[in-house]
Amino acid sequence: MKLEVYNRLMAAQMNRRNVLKGAAGAGAIAAGASMGLGGLLRPALAQSGLRAEMLGIPGVGVGSPTDADWQKVGALTLDATRQNVAEREFAGVELTFLGLNNQNLHNFLFRGFLKPWEAYTGAKINWIDLAQADYNARLQQSIATSTVDFDIIEMGAPFEGDVLGKGLASEMPDWVKDQIDMDDYVNYLKAPVGTWGGKTYRISIDGDCHNFNYRTDYFADADLAAAWEAEGNDGPWEVPATWQKVQEVTKFLKGKKVGRFDAHGYLDPLKGWGGFAFYFLGSRATAYAKHPDDADWLFDADTMKPRVNNPAWVRAIQDVLDVLDAQPADQINADPGTTGFQQFLAGTGSMLSWWGDIGSNAQTSDTSVVGNDVAFSILPGSDDVYNAKTGAWDTLASGPNYAPNMAYIGWGVYVMARVDSDAKKQKAAWSAAAHIGGKDISLWTAAYPSGFQPYRNSHFDIPEWVGSGYEEAFISNYLASQADSYNHPNAAIEPRIPGIFQYYSVAEDELAKIYAGQSGAQEGADKIAAAWEKITDQIGRESQIALYKASQGI
Amino acid sequence: MAVPGQSEGDQLHTVVSDHMSPSRILAGRALLWLAALQLLVVLIVQVLHKLEAISIGFVNWRPLLYAYVFWAIALCVSQVLVRGEQGKRALFVLPAVLFVVSMVVFPLLFGLYISFTDWNLSSPTGPKFNGLANFRQMSGDPFYWNALKNMVYYVLAVTVEYTIAFGLALLLNAQVRARKFFRVAFLLPLMLSPVAVSWMVGKSMMEVRFGPLANLGRLLGWDNPSFFGTPELARMTIMLMDAWTFIPFMMVMILAGLQALPKEVQEAAKIDGATPWQGFWQVTFPLMLPVSITAIVIRIIFKLKLADIIINVTSGGPGGATDSVTSFIFREYRDRSNVGYGTLLAMVYLVLIIIFVTTLLKVVNRWTRQFHQEGAG
Repeated sequence: MKLEVYNRLMAAQMNRRNVLKGAAGAGAIAAGASMGLGGLLRPALAQSGLRAEMLGIPGVGVGSPTDADWQKVGALTLDATRQNVAEREFAGVELTFLGLNNQNLHNFLFRGFLKPWEAYTGAKINWIDLAQADYNARLQQSIATSTVDFDIIEMGAPFEGDVLGKGLASEMPDWVKDQIDMDDYVNYLKAPVGTWGGKTYRISIDGDCHNFNYRTDYFADADLAAAWEAEGNDGPWEVPATWQKVQEVTKFLKGKKVGRFDAHGYLDPLKGWGGFAFYFLGSRATAYAKHPDDADWLFDADTMKPRVNNPAWVRAIQDVLDVLDAQPADQINADPGTTGFQQFLAGTGSMLSWWGDIGSNAQTSDTSVVGNDVAFSILPGSDDVYNAKTGAWDTLASGPNYAPNMAYIGWGVYVMARVDSDAKKQKAAWSAAAHIGGKDISLWTAAYPSGFQPYRNSHFDIPEWVGSGYEEAFISNYLASQADSYNHPNAAIEPRIPGIFQYYSVAEDELAKIYAGQSGAQEGADKIAAAWEKITDQIGRESQIALYKASQGI
Repeated sequence: MAVPGQSEGDQLHTVVSDHMSPSRILAGRALLWLAALQLLVVLIVQVLHKLEAISIGFVNWRPLLYAYVFWAIALCVSQVLVRGEQGKRALFVLPAVLFVVSMVVFPLLFGLYISFTDWNLSSPTGPKFNGLANFRQMSGDPFYWNALKNMVYYVLAVTVEYTIAFGLALLLNAQVRARKFFRVAFLLPLMLSPVAVSWMVGKSMMEVRFGPLANLGRLLGWDNPSFFGTPELARMTIMLMDAWTFIPFMMVMILAGLQALPKEVQEAAKIDGATPWQGFWQVTFPLMLPVSITAIVIRIIFKLKLADIIINVTSGGPGGATDSVTSFIFREYRDRSNVGYGTLLAMVYLVLIIIFVTTLLKVVNRWTRQFHQEGAG
């Protein structure tokens, strides 16, 4: 995500240049001239001390960060390490780090961040770089064949069942918790996420959620408003706050025009995406399926009985089927990459659930044409919510039920249990992990290209972003949609059980058949449930139940 | 006149029986037995250790590999010690046999064992023997049978590809202008990776919104130029993309065959008054049958492995219409870590392929003989 944030900052810097054309700008140039270009471009607002200095590396408008910049950030944030580790304390220690090799993200950054740490502590880090597509298979094979050949791993929380559930990770020492200031995490990243059996294992370095992206120009269009009223629809022409309204609006927009282009409503990805497309049906389903009085929404934790074929999920699937004919052409072949980047950002469709990347790309990506016409909120709610315990649809006194989908729960850093037998190595591994997951360094990863979204409360300090060049209204709206999702009391958090992506993958196959008209919503959902039961039996029902409960902190 | 086989040179390579001393034979046999014993001991110790029957053992299975290598070397040395010159002759083949056993036969047997286990990589209990359960699951798995059905369509498409390839080969074999240029140009698709073809053609040129082929479709009056929108069209488009990539392969094989044909035969046919069609159908085509069959069989084997284009472009959709057996096994194995079932599917597919290709070769062989006999008659 952060590449786009960086580009956004670049774009903001261009705006500032325009401002500087004025008389006030002349004074600013005069003042900035003595500091050089970098000094001129640095945020003028209240960003003091370390954080402000960090945001100046490399500085907005001076090109993408390089390895030298990552090393500078790593060196600048080394104080926390110095407080817990003596110089050369880890001399002779070698650690192996497994992470992603996405260009100029993930491991690329970690290498730079940890170079000063290596120089100070005397430890050496060897790297295992994996393509994202190879990550799951490599991890599963390492676990299954008992060939864990790494000491530190960058890993998503959905895999915690596979790793923590099998006792493969090292418990976080208390000094690490203090060093990284875990209390600063947004609510949903706090326990039980990152914990297992009451013990803490994860240093979060990222946050994930689906938010609702919509086109403001659609909902300000006078012609559409008039047509909405003329066709006798309920309520004013406005941004839908519930899935019921999303459906109404999507059906209404079929055959309409916005300007000279075909209008479309909500965009559903109908093609599989290696398990990740299931998150998008999940985003439609959570408002129906996640009852505020029930932590479960995908399985019954007591029995591992799937809920994917209950009335809530079937309603979500049926919703997709009901608006199939209102979707853009060839939607049957649209995966989430298509709906996000080739459709919504390219001007097709008016409503979309996605990770934070849409907001950060909207005004910065060269392929985006919706930059000035996009806004954000948490996922829509539902007028009623299914109560799996009573089998009835409840209407809440508080109004629509909202249940933001915390899809994937973000990346974290974990230390493997194999270092536990060597106290020096264990401390070194945790120190390295704590360095790249530190509070200060995380501000930099939130503001520059890194692959990670904001995930700490301290990342939502609007003046800090405004000081970096963002328009206050845009960034406030964007960050609020994420913060409100993260901190929502009824957030839907997926089970961190072994093989969770197997469940998603097999569901995608059945959903593809439903969307192609080969089976109905209920029939297809029943097949998904049957396939899930089979996976549960294969992996081991009792152990899955135990691990599910452990992941919930029960 | 010298009798072949009795020349001086041949006599130099004649192997005579050595006289082996009993002690040498004994040493050879002892070495072999000792090596076999250590291999057996290492195997038993490690198996018992893994079964937690004994506490001593190795951290991993690598020592067993070293024991196997030592045994293999001992086997080779003992051959020389026991059988002398005859044993040295065996050394020309023995290392290759041992290598094949360790790199092909053993993995195949191991794969066979895996295919009868319930092994999901996420399962905490590891592989468990489950008899024919995977086979029963396969027989009721609509995705697998759907993929097999699709494979029938894909394989049948080879006949069309062959016809086109033959036609192109005939054209390129004729005296056309810029023949060399066209030969290279027609080969270009074969040089492209199927993954590149997937992205450049399937996901870019055929993209329904901005793809040039989609725009061409619109120009020609196709309202919704979705190349993968319906099951039939999607399957056809996948066939076309695969054909575009591999027709040049068949073409170049057939072209090589055509160029190797003696021109005198065609000339004789012309003198006898054969029409161009008769010249092709009764002279060129029969003479090209061996090359054609080789090209078709190799192409079918390629086709049976079809997966990359499907995985990249349609993921098997819409609704499984383009799924191939390999792309389905890929999802089962990689996305779902279902190693036992995935291996069983692959094993069954291997058996089906062997049966199919063997039958095909036999039928074609019989048909070719019949064709030639009729021709001769």
